[in-house]
Amino acid sequence: MIRLRSVSKEYERRTILDALDLQVDAGEFVFLTGPSGAGKTTLLRMLYAAEYPTEGEVWVAGRRIDEMVRAQLPLLRRKIGVIFQDFKLLRRKTVLENITFVLRIHGVAPREAHRRAMKVLRRLGLQHRQAAFPDALSGGEQQRVAIARALAYQPRLILADEPTGNLDADLASELLSLLCDINYQGATVLVATHDHAILESIPARTLVLHQGQIHYDGMWPP
Amino acid sequence: MIRHAIAEGLVVLRERSAVSVILALALGVPIALAGVGLTLHKWLGPVADLSGQKSSVAVLLHPQIESGERRRWIAELATDHPDWSVSEVSGSELAERLQRWFPYLEELMDSGDATLPSLVEILTDNPDLVTELEDRTEVLAVGPRSSIQQTLGLVARRLALIVGVISFVLLAVAVLLAAVWVHLELYRHADEVIIMRLVGATEGTIRGPFLVAVAIPGAVAGALSVAGSLTTVSGLSRLASALGLSAISVPPSVLVLQIAASVFLPLLAAVITLARHSADATKS
Repeated sequence: MIRLRSVSKEYERRTILDALDLQVDAGEFVFLTGPSGAGKTTLLRMLYAAEYPTEGEVWVAGRRIDEMVRAQLPLLRRKIGVIFQDFKLLRRKTVLENITFVLRIHGVAPREAHRRAMKVLRRLGLQHRQAAFPDALSGGEQQRVAIARALAYQPRLILADEPTGNLDADLASELLSLLCDINYQGATVLVATHDHAILESIPARTLVLHQGQIHYDGMWPP
Repeated sequence: MIRHAIAEGLVVLRERSAVSVILALALGVPIALAGVGLTLHKWLGPVADLSGQKSSVAVLLHPQIESGERRRWIAELATDHPDWSVSEVSGSELAERLQRWFPYLEELMDSGDATLPSLVEILTDNPDLVTELEDRTEVLAVGPRSSIQQTLGLVARRLALIVGVISFVLLAVAVLLAAVWVHLELYRHADEVIIMRLVGATEGTIRGPFLVAVAIPGAVAGALSVAGSLTTVSGLSRLASALGLSAISVPPSVLVLQIAASVFLPLLAAVITLARHSADATKS
């Protein structure tokens, strides 16, 4: 599902990722951890083509994305559900519209989009906030809307950047069990986090990123 | 996604209603002006020398000359003077020209009682030479070297130039306004555009609302320009009738052109701005 070959990324002569090699198979659940500035977000951004490597190859869902032309990116991104660290919700749309909008982009008919959006909102306990605008929501609620949006169209790959950063312990646990369910249904899940409690809550493959290189690749705790 | 584009485009318009009204007026006024100019140009076409390249001298032939003899005479004239452009004005065209200036002649023309002399027009750099034809037996009369046609043509050309320049400048400002507006809206919605791209929206989905937001004032401008040119031409037509001239009307082709320009020009400006923005986003 994900393959990185000798991927390097530099910003203004500073190395963020250094000749990184990585393979994640379809259906895996993987944690990506490491200290702040280790390159977790940069790595995730490369996987949905928001960043391009300075060197190396990035393959996602069988496609080499560092060589993709702009017009091909929407199709790739429709296979990936991204849970952004800063939520990236559309401020002028309601909670429900934020989700149905993405489903409509994916070609889902309006009525079906509404049905699916309500289903995922119920699953995340947000059905009573469907008509609210993102600015009226708490950080945790915004986080859950971002998650609902990423899950609504049942993507083959889910990339989550610090998805529990704004959630209390109960909600964080609920989210992780949700991600596990989705992974159980066949989706590949890659979660970037620096929260060790989360790492310890689920036995899963864990990649420890440090100074742009993978220092550990195996089950957590080591 | 068309419904999405329309819905979002209307939201942009609602949020920026003053700008959209200004844009509609900025587009509508010069296009209406250009429409009036084109209408007058078409109206004057048959009676004024709008080419302005050479002098046009009218030569009236005796009505008794038969058509075969007349054609032979014209052919000889063209052979003798290769630098002249000799053309015969048909009876129906001459009647139309006469009726334009003297509408009350229409009844006489239609009754068939009037026998019009044959008219030949000679375009030349040296109109003095044409006066020599007065001595020929076939010729009834030779018109003035500087005809009213030429005077009208000169005035019409100058007016067309002034109207054309004013319309062009105003239209360029309006198109620039459309481009700047789209540019500013893109910056205002920059976060949304980024999010839309990240969740898999195509460029068409992203651009749609902005195109709708520009096309609607364009369509309103088209309606305004059509109404404006029809009203102005109607006023001019009343004035022409009071002077005994034929009525003026806006040709349908001019109306279609006005509507097309009103919608197409701001859309073109928006498409270029959106394409440049998209290219910048790719680079960054």
